[in-house]
Amino acid sequence: MRILSRWRYPASWTIFRIDDRLLLILIALIVGTCSGLAAVALNRSLIAMFEWLHYFRHYWWSFIMPAIGAALSALFLDKMVKEGAGHGVPEVIYSVSRYGGLMRFRSSFSRLISSCLTIGSGGSAGPEAPVVMSGAAIGSNIAKLFSLNDRQRVTIVGCGAAGAISSIFNAPIAGMVFSIEVILGEWKAVNIVPIAIASVAGTEISRILQGNQIAFSHRLFHINHLDIVACIGLAIISAAVSVLLTRFLRSMHRVSKKAPFPIWVRAAAGGCAVGIIGLFLPIVLGEGYHPVRTIIEGAFTQGFGIVTLAVFAKILATSLTLGWGGSGGIFAPCLVIGSLAGLTYHRGLVLLWPSVSWVNEGCFALLGMAGLISGMLQAPLTGIFLIIEITGGYEAILPLIIVSVVSTTLCHYIEPASFYLKELVEKGQLLRPGTDARVLSDLSVQELLEKDCIIVKQNMLLRDFINIVKKSHRNYFPVEDERTGHFLGIIHLDDIRSYLFNPPMYDAVVLCQIMDTNVEVIYLDDDLSEVLRKMDMNQLFSMPVISNKKFIGMISKATLLDNYRKELMVQTDL
Amino acid sequence: MKLNLDDMARCLDLPVSTVDRWIRQGRIPIHRSGNGCIFKKSILEKWAVNHGLRFSLSNEERKKELNFALTNLLPAMQLGGVFHDIKGDDVKTVLKSAVDKVPVLSINKEELYERLLEREALTSTGIGKGVAIPHPRAPLPEETDNSLITTCFLEKSIAFEAVDDRAVFVMFILLSTSIKNHLHLLSRLAFCVRDDAFVEFLRTYPDTSSLLSKIADCENLLDKADHN
Repeated sequence: MRILSRWRYPASWTIFRIDDRLLLILIALIVGTCSGLAAVALNRSLIAMFEWLHYFRHYWWSFIMPAIGAALSALFLDKMVKEGAGHGVPEVIYSVSRYGGLMRFRSSFSRLISSCLTIGSGGSAGPEAPVVMSGAAIGSNIAKLFSLNDRQRVTIVGCGAAGAISSIFNAPIAGMVFSIEVILGEWKAVNIVPIAIASVAGTEISRILQGNQIAFSHRLFHINHLDIVACIGLAIISAAVSVLLTRFLRSMHRVSKKAPFPIWVRAAAGGCAVGIIGLFLPIVLGEGYHPVRTIIEGAFTQGFGIVTLAVFAKILATSLTLGWGGSGGIFAPCLVIGSLAGLTYHRGLVLLWPSVSWVNEGCFALLGMAGLISGMLQAPLTGIFLIIEITGGYEAILPLIIVSVVSTTLCHYIEPASFYLKELVEKGQLLRPGTDARVLSDLSVQELLEKDCIIVKQNMLLRDFINIVKKSHRNYFPVEDERTGHFLGIIHLDDIRSYLFNPPMYDAVVLCQIMDTNVEVIYLDDDLSEVLRKMDMNQLFSMPVISNKKFIGMISKATLLDNYRKELMVQTDL
Repeated sequence: MKLNLDDMARCLDLPVSTVDRWIRQGRIPIHRSGNGCIFKKSILEKWAVNHGLRFSLSNEERKKELNFALTNLLPAMQLGGVFHDIKGDDVKTVLKSAVDKVPVLSINKEELYERLLEREALTSTGIGKGVAIPHPRAPLPEETDNSLITTCFLEKSIAFEAVDDRAVFVMFILLSTSIKNHLHLLSRLAFCVRDDAFVEFLRTYPDTSSLLSKIADCENLLDKADHN
């Protein structure tokens, strides 16, 4: 039995005990393969579902199909696996920053099924975020199986996300960069190496099963100086569109929360609205890779008006789908909206200056995609590498970089937190490694407790108290009720110094007369940031800690600084 | 190596909950197995140095603390010895002959004498009731390993410019290794001298063994008072 159970604790094997890097690389390989498989599975089932439902799209009632899909997905998430709707990436980041990457096993398939229902039936959402969530959950559970510690598990969760993105886009660098830039937020060799391995594994799986195809191939671009100047305008437009999409998604979410219906009715209503839009503009339906392909190839023929309309229609459809309870990500919608925005910009340029020979519209569509991804995620590197890899368009690298960074900067200026992080930042739950918030959330009141205070009784005479003062190292003396043991107040040496040298007072005063009863106290489960806020507000340097109405110790700023520094050094310098 | 969690925390001088959390979060090169912590000593020591922490397996720290523990009167007096009939007509000559009696060889007698005089020049160490406690101004950690008190009963009482102007008949030369020790011994000695019965007892010029047993009694009283 002992030998059988040893395989579950590889961290205690002799070769891995000294250095866990080899172990992480091995597990990263497994996780990258698994999450790559998950991505391929979702992709295949989406295609199957699309073909299966294709016959019904010609009927007039086809607009209720997204409604049925969204309702089923909402019911599945709400009733069967009991998870909240949404795209999943914030949940992954939250679990990484708060729980060392612990995730439930059911997360590794729940989003796959629900997003398949939503997107396959025509809802406007992307399959990437669900795949990221399930890849991350697969990683987390494999790490749990091998009993890895928190730091290793976080890295493995990043591996899962990287493998998923790499596999679904056939884009290994984008997967790596996304995982490090968005999910982990920590550029360190200990993370990068396993994540790179997982990306390779995920990509290879997808290449074996689906062939090595570039998602959106295009014709050769000839980019002039003028095009590079023009792309700044595109960056501004794509930033504006990103902000618009972010605002729309969030306001839809708020509106739908106020609606007094069960969640599946809301999802159905949203899906129905999307279906109706889809009757007039079929481009908004589904994850939308097909129209993107057409646009990049330069085969999209509609004029300026229709394209502009399509941008807004897609934004509306996406926010209706996701905001009202459908399940899916924003990656694919971003690509569609971005390419449409780029196309719009190109059409506008041609209208204004018909005599200039601009680079073809596919190039602008590609730049628009990069601008939107960078703007929404506020992750410029992810935008740049993703677009290069999915289009194979390295010749567009210069304008691509410009659009990505300008769009990120502008979006950051208007919306300081990206779409994924906004909720976490608002709740104060975004804890990137090595930051103040992270250190404070890791330290607990229990660890900082100083227990060398001498507790005194409330009916003690000052004379007896003086003998205790002689022996104490501290200036604070908590007073308790001798019958119940409850904390009553505290005596600070500074407050009673003058009485100490006044012998007539010795037998005249009992401690409950000189103690300070109006003291700020801390409870064991208080957050340290809250403790520090209290200290700053009342200009205190130490505070008593109370548990179950009893005094259990003091917390002082000096000890806090000491432990804070130790924690920071241990956290930042691995 | 293997240690349990509590010992580990003590070796690292950290709270148990912190060590436990660091192991769980993988921030420290230690593996858990049950309540045991498995680690490699050299790696952990290097890690501790890199992170500004202390890690010591043995009880060296505690031994050092023991060294710093305060010496009580009895051992100090046993070490210092008790001498009768010290000759001299004034402070200087009395001190001179008393210093010669101090039984520690490593001390430079001439220098010690200078330092005692220097201290007397500041204010007299005669604390009243015929008792004086000459001592150097700074402790002598290099010259002696242990604090000691040399008791000197004088042949005849001399004027010592004491606080109560009474002639001094006994001197306790107090040589200590640290200021803390000095204060500790001084306060204990002062406690004994405050008791008039003790001073009366001293006036009988007792021999070494009875003086030491009396001191032991006094110290027991003191310890009892401290514990209450």
